Amino acid sequence: MPQPSQLPVREPRGGYQLGVVREVLLALLAGEASHGYQLRARLALALGPLAEALNDGQVYVTLGRLEKAGLLRSRRVGQTDRPDRKVYELTPAGRKRVAQWLEDTSWPKPAPAEFHLKLVAAAAAGLADPVGIADRQRRELLVGLGQAQRAALAEPEGSVSALLLEGVVLRLQADLRWLEACARYWNSAKEQK
Amino acid sequence: MGRLLLVSRLVVGDIKRRRTQSALLLLMIVTTTTTLTIGLTLHKVTDSPFARTRAATRGPDIVAEVVPPPGPSPEVARDFAPLVHARGVASTSGPYPVASARLTAGGIDVPVQAQGRDARPAAIDRPAVTAGKWVSPGGAVIERGFADALGLAVGDTIHLNGRRFRVAGIAVSTAQCFYPVSTPGVIWLTRDDAGALATRMQPLGYVLNVRLADPSSPQAFENGNAAYAFGNDTNNDVTSFMTSWQDIRQSDFKVVSVDQKVLLIVSTLLALLAIASIAVVVGSRMAEQTRRVGLLKAVGATPLLVATVLLAENLVLALAATAVGVIAGQVVTPVLTNLGNGLLGSAPTPPLTVTLVAEVVIVAMLVAGCATIVPAIRGARTSTIRALNDPVHPPRRRPVLIAFSARLPVPLLLAVRLVARRVRRSLLTVASMTIAVTMVVAALTLEHNVDVHDRHDVASGVIGASSVADRVTHLVFLLSAILIVLAAINAIFTTWATVIDAQRPTALARALGATPRQITAGLTSSQLMPALLAACLGIPLGLALYQLAGGHVSEASPPVLWLLAVIPGTLIAVAVLTAIPARIGARRPVADVLRSE
Amino acid sequence: MNSRQPVLSARGLRKEYGRGAALVRAVNDVSLEVAPGESVAIVGPSGCGKSTLLYLLGGLERPTAGTLELAQHRIEQMPETGLARLRRRALGFVFQAFHLVDELTALENVELPALLSGVSPRKARERAAQLLEQVGLEDRAEHLPSALSGGQRQRVAIARALANGPAVVLADEPTGNLDSSATTEVLRLFEQLHADGQTLVVVTHDERIAATADRLISMRDGRFVDETRLTGGSARSLTEMAGLKG
Repeated sequence: MPQPSQLPVREPRGGYQLGVVREVLLALLAGEASHGYQLRARLALALGPLAEALNDGQVYVTLGRLEKAGLLRSRRVGQTDRPDRKVYELTPAGRKRVAQWLEDTSWPKPAPAEFHLKLVAAAAAGLADPVGIADRQRRELLVGLGQAQRAALAEPEGSVSALLLEGVVLRLQADLRWLEACARYWNSAKEQK
Repeated sequence: MGRLLLVSRLVVGDIKRRRTQSALLLLMIVTTTTTLTIGLTLHKVTDSPFARTRAATRGPDIVAEVVPPPGPSPEVARDFAPLVHARGVASTSGPYPVASARLTAGGIDVPVQAQGRDARPAAIDRPAVTAGKWVSPGGAVIERGFADALGLAVGDTIHLNGRRFRVAGIAVSTAQCFYPVSTPGVIWLTRDDAGALATRMQPLGYVLNVRLADPSSPQAFENGNAAYAFGNDTNNDVTSFMTSWQDIRQSDFKVVSVDQKVLLIVSTLLALLAIASIAVVVGSRMAEQTRRVGLLKAVGATPLLVATVLLAENLVLALAATAVGVIAGQVVTPVLTNLGNGLLGSAPTPPLTVTLVAEVVIVAMLVAGCATIVPAIRGARTSTIRALNDPVHPPRRRPVLIAFSARLPVPLLLAVRLVARRVRRSLLTVASMTIAVTMVVAALTLEHNVDVHDRHDVASGVIGASSVADRVTHLVFLLSAILIVLAAINAIFTTWATVIDAQRPTALARALGATPRQITAGLTSSQLMPALLAACLGIPLGLALYQLAGGHVSEASPPVLWLLAVIPGTLIAVAVLTAIPARIGARRPVADVLRSE
Repeated sequence: MNSRQPVLSARGLRKEYGRGAALVRAVNDVSLEVAPGESVAIVGPSGCGKSTLLYLLGGLERPTAGTLELAQHRIEQMPETGLARLRRRALGFVFQAFHLVDELTALENVELPALLSGVSPRKARERAAQLLEQVGLEDRAEHLPSALSGGQRQRVAIARALANGPAVVLADEPTGNLDSSATTEVLRLFEQLHADGQTLVVVTHDERIAATADRLISMRDGRFVDETRLTGGSARSLTEMAGLKG
């Protein structure tokens, strides 16, 4: 049975973090002012099964930072039987930032370069068989694909969370195809020697 | 110039690639053109044998006969006087005595007309002796048609009214129609011999041969005073006749005209059959043709060019078929126009005229064109993209047939659905099979009719009356055979086309669990259903055809059992013919048709 | 049917074409056992013989050598008639090109295997309606294939494959002609069938189908080169792949 990837896995302390959480929170406030817990709930809805892994405190910490940066302002709302809660709303600067983010077309960098160099290095140094590395990575991705696909099918048809998982699935599919091409390439390179 | 080259290259390439189909198409049109050529040529046959014989024998313009009534009566006075001295008469020969007698020879016993003649050749009507010698005491000369029918030759012995005679010679003459067009048969004897044959029950009659000043209008003479006088002056019990040379010629040529009628009818049938068959062949290539149309349109060909390409191939075949058919027709016609026995020589084939060739070409092109027109129009109308991507015309949906077939056992379910897929092709199949069955039924009726007449004629003493009918029968049977062969080829081809067209559905059916035997049965049944319809239609149509060609059905309708036997006969024939393509179709490897790679 | 016996059992299967120098071994010494309720995916590059293998397993082609048992019947030497009857009862086929009959409605297409088995028209139609409901196309029952999308057509084809309650469903590149969302439709259906206990053998290029099967077999040059069960993985890997950083 092939071994899973050998890279050390760092267990993050408080769950996972979202890269663009600042922009997302600003955008969610563009419609109406909200409490912190409401924002967190809406994020969770959009992430579906992955919401649980989200870092607890990240939302509140970010809200604080945004307020300090002047993109948000907050006010306290008194409640009869609970401690006062903050309500957040966008400032004009915040609105401008949201508009910029929505128009931005940069795409998270795909990363074939790293793996590609891994294979080249392995072949050059004679340390390991690149075909084996590619195959092992393929298996790992296949497992992940199976997982993601099942999760996607478990979500209600046409829901927004299913859409996210479809994205995961299709990305993995593309990566798998490339890995197959890598295996073919390094296999024929081996045969030519 | 470039376009011409393109079209010709496409056509030649197509023909080379589909040799069998092109050969098939060619065969079908050739049979039509050949029969048509023969028919048209016969139409133009002049009466040269008759004219030649008439000239050689100095045939009369008018033959006047006086026939005594049977039974005892005094010798008839020879009252040809009004005719001999009539205005317009150039000369006469005779009158010659004519005795009715009975001829017996080898088991035959037939009535004859014995004319008494001088040993010297007559001025008018001197029969041309083609074998042996002219009359002498004890020597009889027999009319050639009669001699052939009876199988008599020079030197044979015959008995007339019990008296022995020798066959001295065989001759032809245009004073009467040849046997068996004219009955009873004619023999010539010396005057004394003929006179000796007269009895009280059968007294002598007389015949006078007349030459007119103006041979072209015997009708006028027949209506004139002299004829009137001749007809009325004779004794009331005596019958007098006048026959003109045109009448005789016409009767002689009835034979040819029957042939001609039959040929024209049959070539029409052949043309229809050819159209139906070609339509099936062309229809089965529709997908390819449609794709070709799409390609041409996509590269910018004008509609005219597209139509030219589509029709060009079949027109080339039509022209080739015309050439072959005309030549073949020229070769075969003399065989038919040899009127044989009663006249000198046979008609030389009339030379090929431009009009004849033109007529045949037009028919051939019409046949090829008709069959191609539907696919051509459809191909030209399909949008270019559809033509390139999806050239096969999808089968039309027939909900009633589909629902009905669900209740049937599997082979019939398949058969009905196969027929429903391509109704037009099934109808064409029905048409071609009906044509063949029609011809067969007409031929059977004719054969039966000839039998009946044979028996009737033998009873009344006319031997070989069927020799004319025989020729027609042989002709009809030959043409029926050709039609049947064509229809058979068509049946095989249609089955094959169905197999190919239904490749995917039949492979699918097998993958879903239909056994090969069920598929074979289904494919065969899909041809048997049209065959059944064709057989049922063909019986009444065949009888109608026979009537159209001049026969009388009421007096000669074949027994009902014969006619009904046509139905199982057709079904068995079709089942046998289609068995092999059906079996091949049912056993092709399923995977090849269905696989994705 | 004994639920512990394998539904499909092949030993040493071989399929050769041509002879002499032109000999091609499309399937070369393949052995396979499929337990009831299992889903097996066979993957490999084009021309590796996986489709040929599937047709051998379904009795649509005869092996050159080897033994093959389907639903406890030995089929490599069975005559065509017997094979056809066995296929009716024990097999369902799904093809890449769907192979629906163009002039029949979805309902008429689905009832076809039942009609070919001699089932009464009324029963066949009832079952067909049930199956179309099962695949979620009951409102398209009277539509012709030309009026259906690719995914819908393949779902009709799957319904047809289930018509006679087969022991195993064989699928040859079922998503080969489908786009991504149609593939999802078919995938969903396969998962449903698998959950209902249907045995599936799928030949495919599509990694999504391969990844969700119980067993994944890789084929190359007519032979099996790898067989694996894709287990393992955790919520951790999924969140990483989704772009949530640790």
